[in-house]
Amino acid sequence: MSLLEIENVSKRYGSETLALNSVAFSVEAGEFVAIIGPSGAGKSTLLRCINRLIDVSSGDIRFDGVSVPKLRGAALRRHRTQIGMIFQHYNLVNRLSVIENVLHGRLGYKNTLQGILGLYTEYEKREAVRILETLGLSEQMYKRCDQLSGGQKQRVGIARALVQQPKMLLCDEPIASLDPSSAKVIMDTLRDINQTMGITLLVNLHQVDVALHYAERIIGINRGQVIYDGPPQALNNEQIYQIYGSEAGELILDLKERYAA
Amino acid sequence: MEATIPSRRIQVRPRNRANIVIQVTLLTLTVLTLYGLVTIDARNVEFFAAFGDMLANFRVVLFEARLKNLSWFDLFRELMVTVGLGLLTTVFGAVPAFFFALFAAQNLAPRRVTDAVKAVMAFVRAVPTVLWVLFFAVTVGLGAAAAVIGMTFHSISYLVKAYAETFEELDEGALEALRASGANWWQTVFQAVVPSSASAILSWTFVRFEINFSVAIAMGATAGAGGIGYDMFMASSFYLDLRELGIFTYAVLIFAILLEWGATRLKETVGATR
Ligand SMILES: Nc1ncnc2c1ncn2[C@@H]1O[C@H](COP(=O)(O)OP(=O)(O)OP(=O)(O)O)[C@@H](O)[C@H]1O
Ligand SMILES: [Mg+2]
Repeated sequence: MSLLEIENVSKRYGSETLALNSVAFSVEAGEFVAIIGPSGAGKSTLLRCINRLIDVSSGDIRFDGVSVPKLRGAALRRHRTQIGMIFQHYNLVNRLSVIENVLHGRLGYKNTLQGILGLYTEYEKREAVRILETLGLSEQMYKRCDQLSGGQKQRVGIARALVQQPKMLLCDEPIASLDPSSAKVIMDTLRDINQTMGITLLVNLHQVDVALHYAERIIGINRGQVIYDGPPQALNNEQIYQIYGSEAGELILDLKERYAA
Repeated sequence: MEATIPSRRIQVRPRNRANIVIQVTLLTLTVLTLYGLVTIDARNVEFFAAFGDMLANFRVVLFEARLKNLSWFDLFRELMVTVGLGLLTTVFGAVPAFFFALFAAQNLAPRRVTDAVKAVMAFVRAVPTVLWVLFFAVTVGLGAAAAVIGMTFHSISYLVKAYAETFEELDEGALEALRASGANWWQTVFQAVVPSSASAILSWTFVRFEINFSVAIAMGATAGAGGIGYDMFMASSFYLDLRELGIFTYAVLIFAILLEWGATRLKETVGATR
């Protein structure tokens, strides 16, 4: 059984926009999958259907054997605790400290009152500190998040996802707001998480070259449809053209350079 | 690039409905003001004599102020009664307003709920505080109790609007992140909404306290709620003692300045940690 099975998923916004059109694929535990596609292709929508921030219009998503579209209440919360999410704009509570933001990852495991009061166990706090250390943020622990650089904020976002002890991470353009060197740190961190902790990764990426460099599998989406699903080595220029349409020109050039180098 | 510049005059301000309404309103107000000035009926008033009397009265109030019926301690106590009325109604208003505002913010509650809460609050707010006090006076009698209930009522509606707008301006991303990690609604409210909006909530509450302080003076004078407003009423229309009225005016003025100073300080410290 695969960790994640997506069967014929469609998502319609209003009556016109068909953001996802019969998407189907499955992901094995431990895979590093990059999802690429032009702006508006439906990448973010796809990730948000998996942790049910968005309801699918039709089709089924099974995570760890559980059907996601029907989940409600406590079962939905339990499902979400197993999946960490990382965002382009980090989505931290800027006025709180780094450690407080990281501990937010534990809220899904707490009852309402503990969560409201921020009562975390000693074990949870120790875990948060340990994860911050491995991500090189021990100095920043008590700083407010708005005092951090973009790269540091994204690492806090990763730490928050990791204290969830998730089976899978959904990353929605994790490096789109970062400079190249911070982006590299983040991507290396993600790869490390995938390889040493065995956490499955589903990463939306704008940069095809980054996707080809890090991922072991590429899913190309255009207008809500899966155009390509396979290893990076097998992705050729024609397929990139199909995924990106008229925007493909520059990307194909990049690809040639990469293979020339 | 050059081809995109139109040959006719370029309009900077779009000629839309909102702008036209604003212009028509301003024009109407100007016309009404001029009309009022020209046609005002001042035959029975000796304008210059009246103006002179007014200045003389002002001089008595401001430069010959002294206490007579009350001691300094009484003055302080009466001022504190008024402050207490303002503070009590602000606190009584702020707590329920916080919870109502959660259900009035579109990023926290479903549209149907927010519309209902906002409509009720808009109605409550549209009726002036004084009318609410008089309304409750029908049931509990004119006095402090009616003033407290009526002022609290209006404070709630005012603060719900202020708080809800603060909540709606919050970064949607942080709320989404907590939801994605399995946090429930109340946890999201207290772990993301409250910390992000605490300073704005504090300053709105303080603004309302300033309003309630001045309303409390008026309530003392008109609704028998006690405090310095009542003393001002007695001094001006019962004892006809302009000099004592002067002291009350100064007391209110000094306290208002202190309040303003406090508010500025509060905003500075909150702003510094922002
Ligand atoms: N809340 C919404 N309401 C209506 N339409 C939406 C909504 N969210 C997304 N869409 C539409 O669905 C389509 C897919 O959007 P989505 O955000 O998933 O694309 P994306 O691949 O993530 O794009 P980008 O690379 O720009 O982030 C787009 O056409 C978008 O306009
Ligand atoms: Mg997106």
